[in-house]
Amino acid sequence: MTFLEFLQSRRELLLAQTLEHATIVLMSVALATVIGVLIALWTYRHPRARAVATGMAAAMLTIPSFALLGLLITPLGLGYTPTLVALTMYALLPILRNTIVGLTEIDPALTEAARGIGMGRVRSLATVELPLAWPVILTGIRVSTQMTMGIAAIGAYVQGPGLGHQIFDGLANLGGVNSLNQALVGTVGVIVLALTVDVALALLGKLTQAGQRPKLFRTRPTLRPTLTPATAAPSPSLGGRE
Amino acid sequence: MSHDVMIDLQQVNKFYRGQKAPVVENMSMTIQQGEIIVLVGPSGCGKTTTMKMINRLIEPSSGRILIDGTDVTALDGNDLRRQIGYVIQQVGLFPHMSVATNVGLVPKMLGWDAKRIEARADELLHLVGLEPAIYRNRLPRQLSGGQQQRVGVARALAADPPVMLMDEPFGATDPMTRDRLQNEFLRLQEQLRKTIVFVTHDFDEAIKMGTRIAVLGERSKIRQFDTPENLLAQPADSTVAQFIGRGARLKQLDLRRVDAITWQDVPLIQLDKPVNGAKRQLDQTEGSSALTVDADNRPLRWVNADDLAARPDALDEAGQTVTTVEPQATLRDALDAMLASRDGAAVVVDEHGRYAGTVTLDGLMQVIHHTPERGEPGSGVPDQRSAVAPAAELTPEQR
Repeated sequence: MTFLEFLQSRRELLLAQTLEHATIVLMSVALATVIGVLIALWTYRHPRARAVATGMAAAMLTIPSFALLGLLITPLGLGYTPTLVALTMYALLPILRNTIVGLTEIDPALTEAARGIGMGRVRSLATVELPLAWPVILTGIRVSTQMTMGIAAIGAYVQGPGLGHQIFDGLANLGGVNSLNQALVGTVGVIVLALTVDVALALLGKLTQAGQRPKLFRTRPTLRPTLTPATAAPSPSLGGRE
Repeated sequence: MSHDVMIDLQQVNKFYRGQKAPVVENMSMTIQQGEIIVLVGPSGCGKTTTMKMINRLIEPSSGRILIDGTDVTALDGNDLRRQIGYVIQQVGLFPHMSVATNVGLVPKMLGWDAKRIEARADELLHLVGLEPAIYRNRLPRQLSGGQQQRVGVARALAADPPVMLMDEPFGATDPMTRDRLQNEFLRLQEQLRKTIVFVTHDFDEAIKMGTRIAVLGERSKIRQFDTPENLLAQPADSTVAQFIGRGARLKQLDLRRVDAITWQDVPLIQLDKPVNGAKRQLDQTEGSSALTVDADNRPLRWVNADDLAARPDALDEAGQTVTTVEPQATLRDALDAMLASRDGAAVVVDEHGRYAGTVTLDGLMQVIHHTPERGEPGSGVPDQRSAVAPAAELTPEQR
């Protein structure tokens, strides 16, 4: 059976597993975003709290995924829950760190102006600071998504959902019929899914960047980008400049 | 000018924890409605702290601050700040919002409806010289620095606050733009009559903008609080004098305008006159020089008897070119024009470029040595005096 024939024969199962995979990744990233942004808002003005928060998130990232998933079986059992928790923990650091970076890099003149015209803390955060930090936060979200796409495959080890099952089954029966195809389809599936979601998130970024004209094909995100994208399109002047 | 007290600082202090000396110590100051009060002093003297206590961006440690009779230390800080215009050096326009949205922020917080906010934003953009149709939907970064600060001023004016605080508002712009923004703002203030507290470390700006200037020393101690004229003429102590710097007399020239000094008349010679006639006319007059003018009475050149003798055939090329000033020009500009002229005189022309009179160094000296009296805040502002002898009376036809 060729690779394409294999795809054809297991179309429905593969499609279902791909959807599961995407769902659990997006859910954990969404959870990590809520938690990460909240922790960032809570700590970003206090250098020590900030260091503790990022330090802890970084430490979580160093736990080998096999070990973490295995350890989570005891309190959470098998299946969906331990996978979701583990992925959320991994997704936390880039989002938390980028949110802190985004918020602390805002020009102090802007927060002073916000206060000076009578904005309270909540209003200033909602209308000025978070919208300005959003491109940086979104970059964190993209990094987290990419990262958890791969880790989610290991969720199959604790009976979690997703394409990991294909990889695990294939590798377990290496040499058997279709085993290579299985491992391949799982791996390629994860890659394709990761790229697709990344493009979708990049598009979301274009559409939600406040005050920026959409411009496609920006440079790849990094973990610590500058606040204002250097690629911001200079707009044509209508004259009348001084 | 009304003399209602608008802002009253009463023994205001600001201490910071862990610092022995207060940043602002026992500051008291009364500011009238419609004044521009400039706080000027060396950096770190507490002038910005003093200003920020008025809208409570910095909470005073003790003392009272009254705005229009209300003690603001009892109000909610955010509510208070929405009623006080605030302009800072870095402008602080929000880069992700359009110009109109930026301008409409305070009205929005005050709960105006969208239509009214939109109309107000357009009105203000127009007021600060930015065509709303072109600029309202632009983002701040699509504007030049000077335009951004105009939007900053518009944003501060949005809810028509009676009081404005300006923290080195023009400090980040290049000298030419700064000069223009200052002039525009002064013109605006003539209509708006806001009560303004203006912080700067630039004494020349203080002289230009201030109705009264408070020269501050350490801990925001007031060394002198007076009109620019009095400050220049009679500095209270050597520190103030040092701060004023050299050239106090020259700076005084910036405060006066050409229409505040006496103009002299000189004989005019119409260009179409034959040279002989011109010579005769020049001989008849007492002055040594005359001015050639064109058919519309626009001054062309200075001529004297020697010039006429040297170029008997071409009256239009005889003599020296003239330097002109308009009645609204400062005396500094007039002095510059005088120095450029052979006879030490500058020709005053009206807005159409027609001859109106001349000003001389002697006239200038008289003004400088007349010290304005204390408590006469308007002394630097030209009053609406009647124009000096209309040029028509002096035309040769009427002689």
